Amino acid sequence: MEHTTLAHHLLLAGLLFIIGLSGVLIRRNLLVVYMCLELMLTASTLALVAFSRFNNTMDGAIFVFFIITVAAAEVAVGLALIVALFRQRKTVNSDQLTTLCD
Amino acid sequence: MNSVSLLHWILFLPLGAAAFSAFFLRRQGGFAAWLSTFTAFVIAALALTILTQTSEDIKWHYELGKIGGISLGFGYLIDAHARLMLFVVSFVAAWIHLFSVGYMKEDEARGRFFAGLSIFMFSILGIVIADNLLMTFIFWELVGFSSYMLIAHYFDTDFAAEASKKAFITNRVGDLGFILGIALCLKIFGTLNFAELKLQAGSAVPIALGLLLMCGFLGKSAQFPLHVWLTDAMAGPTPVSALIHAATMVAAGVYFMARISFLLAPEVLHWMAISGASMAALAGLCALAQTDIKKSLAYSTLAHLGIMGCAIGLGHPELAVLHMAMHAFFKATLFLGAGSVIHGCHHEQDMLKMGGLLKKMPITAATFIAATLSNCAVPFLAGWYSKDAIIEAAWHGHDYVVFSFLALAALATCLYSGRMIRLVFMGAPNSKAATHAHESPWTMTLPISVLGIVYAVGAGFAANILIPHSSLQIVEESLKEISFHLTAPATIVGIISLILGFLSFKFYGLFTGQDSLQKISPRTYHLLEYRWMDTFYNWYIDKIQRRVAELIVFLDLLIINGLAVRWIAGGTFAALGHVSTAIFHRGKTRAYAIWITLGSLLFIWLLLR
Repeated sequence: MEHTTLAHHLLLAGLLFIIGLSGVLIRRNLLVVYMCLELMLTASTLALVAFSRFNNTMDGAIFVFFIITVAAAEVAVGLALIVALFRQRKTVNSDQLTTLCD
Repeated sequence: MNSVSLLHWILFLPLGAAAFSAFFLRRQGGFAAWLSTFTAFVIAALALTILTQTSEDIKWHYELGKIGGISLGFGYLIDAHARLMLFVVSFVAAWIHLFSVGYMKEDEARGRFFAGLSIFMFSILGIVIADNLLMTFIFWELVGFSSYMLIAHYFDTDFAAEASKKAFITNRVGDLGFILGIALCLKIFGTLNFAELKLQAGSAVPIALGLLLMCGFLGKSAQFPLHVWLTDAMAGPTPVSALIHAATMVAAGVYFMARISFLLAPEVLHWMAISGASMAALAGLCALAQTDIKKSLAYSTLAHLGIMGCAIGLGHPELAVLHMAMHAFFKATLFLGAGSVIHGCHHEQDMLKMGGLLKKMPITAATFIAATLSNCAVPFLAGWYSKDAIIEAAWHGHDYVVFSFLALAALATCLYSGRMIRLVFMGAPNSKAATHAHESPWTMTLPISVLGIVYAVGAGFAANILIPHSSLQIVEESLKEISFHLTAPATIVGIISLILGFLSFKFYGLFTGQDSLQKISPRTYHLLEYRWMDTFYNWYIDKIQRRVAELIVFLDLLIINGLAVRWIAGGTFAALGHVSTAIFHRGKTRAYAIWITLGSLLFIWLLLR
């Protein structure tokens, strides 16, 4: 396309964010919820990169590097938690994990 | 190939070797050893090519980008100081690598060790050729990391693990000042580039800037009050002590100060001169009360670093860099010699248990004694040209307090050298290990011969042949300026010290198997063992720092944890009573997610309203 403006990028980022958010709200499988969370994070980094690109600065891009680094660490911990949870309870369905209210 | 691409090779070759060894050669230690050593020699050859082929400054800069108007750059600046440092680092390191091949032969974790040496080479070369403060700082931290890693090589022993932590933490304290100094520099001058800074720095540089930048030097070069880590760092393998904690890394602090000496206010320089000289005298005397051969040498290194710092303080950075070079040669030889002795005596490090090694290890003994004479500044040997020149500079500048401290340091050097030679090489063997000592293989004796005989001794006579000429010009001018010669006051002091040193050599022959000073005056000996600085730091951390931390924890528990979190959240919960469990706290993940989303939306709405 010839005219990709900042608005296009932001629209895409917003759509991704909403898709991720609805996934988090609707889905019951913790693994999928987790992927949706990551999708929300990615949407925000996409917006940052777009800002960086259209303002001709490095600030946003460098921010993204940090986010990617932290996200990588966080994914490692999060997945490990889910695996540990599965070993304990034999399920990753969030509706069955209700020890707190019982 | 032009010189800039040669510099690229010099810098990134060791990084490649380190990465390759770390990823693929963890179990092929023998191959990793030769790969690393080969790389080190290639670097030395490339560095020599640059130094002999070019004579003017090399400048190259690549801008990585801008953040908030600050230009982040990666670049090289090879000026007169960098030439000498580049030669010393690459050359000494190559021979120490070869020595390590022999010394570490039976070590299980050779792959890790040599990967560590290569990453250290990458880091130190980065400091040498960096053209701006930020790049220097990054490589500065990298040498800190590699030093930490190599001190902890024997990490299964408690003292090595603790020594590495101590070195790392002490250096961080200094680096905090360093990075604040960089920030201040940026605020005042708006640039971090050495060449631009030099143009902008006028006569009135703020004292604070010099003091903050000096903090980095205090940590890395182990100067008062951050000197406590260096003697403990001897827990690392001996080649590491020789390369990092004697020849190159600790000297990098001095090199850095020489490089930015135009940013140091006169008051800062004065402090450096006094503190360096007194540190030199104190550390020299403390070397007399160590029984571990490496610790004794470590105190000697502290003393020499003090002398170098003092030279910068006296306004002669080129002499400091010259002494750094000469010191690198003879101190590396001394450490490698000590390594050879330790290797020969089956890992015995106690000098009182050695003795009579002159006959058993002739090559090691000859080179060790030659390097010691250079260390004691016997006229016309390498150490004389640099060390006595600095003492002479103090006299020339009418700085008599500094002069007397330096003279005391020179005397102490001769005393502990005499003691060391007597205890290790003369007399009769004092233990089984020393009786069965044997000469080391060629991979170990060749490096000490080259560094010891050729450089530590020969560099005095034939510096112009043995060291690339283009790196020595400024030093010659400086030597002429302070009119240094054989009958200068410094040399006379030095010769008197040598005579006293010979007496100490005799003195330590009085008793066998124990330290003569300890026998005659246990109290003096105990004072010189120098435990009180560690005691002071322990007291400070236990009684002051911990109290402050406890106060902060208390406030955290009271205000953040108690007032803000428990009271507000718990209060809401209690106020809503049964409603809250029915609506908010249902114990279902999705319910919480919905509430979080609604809360965020409410918050955004409040903000945008």
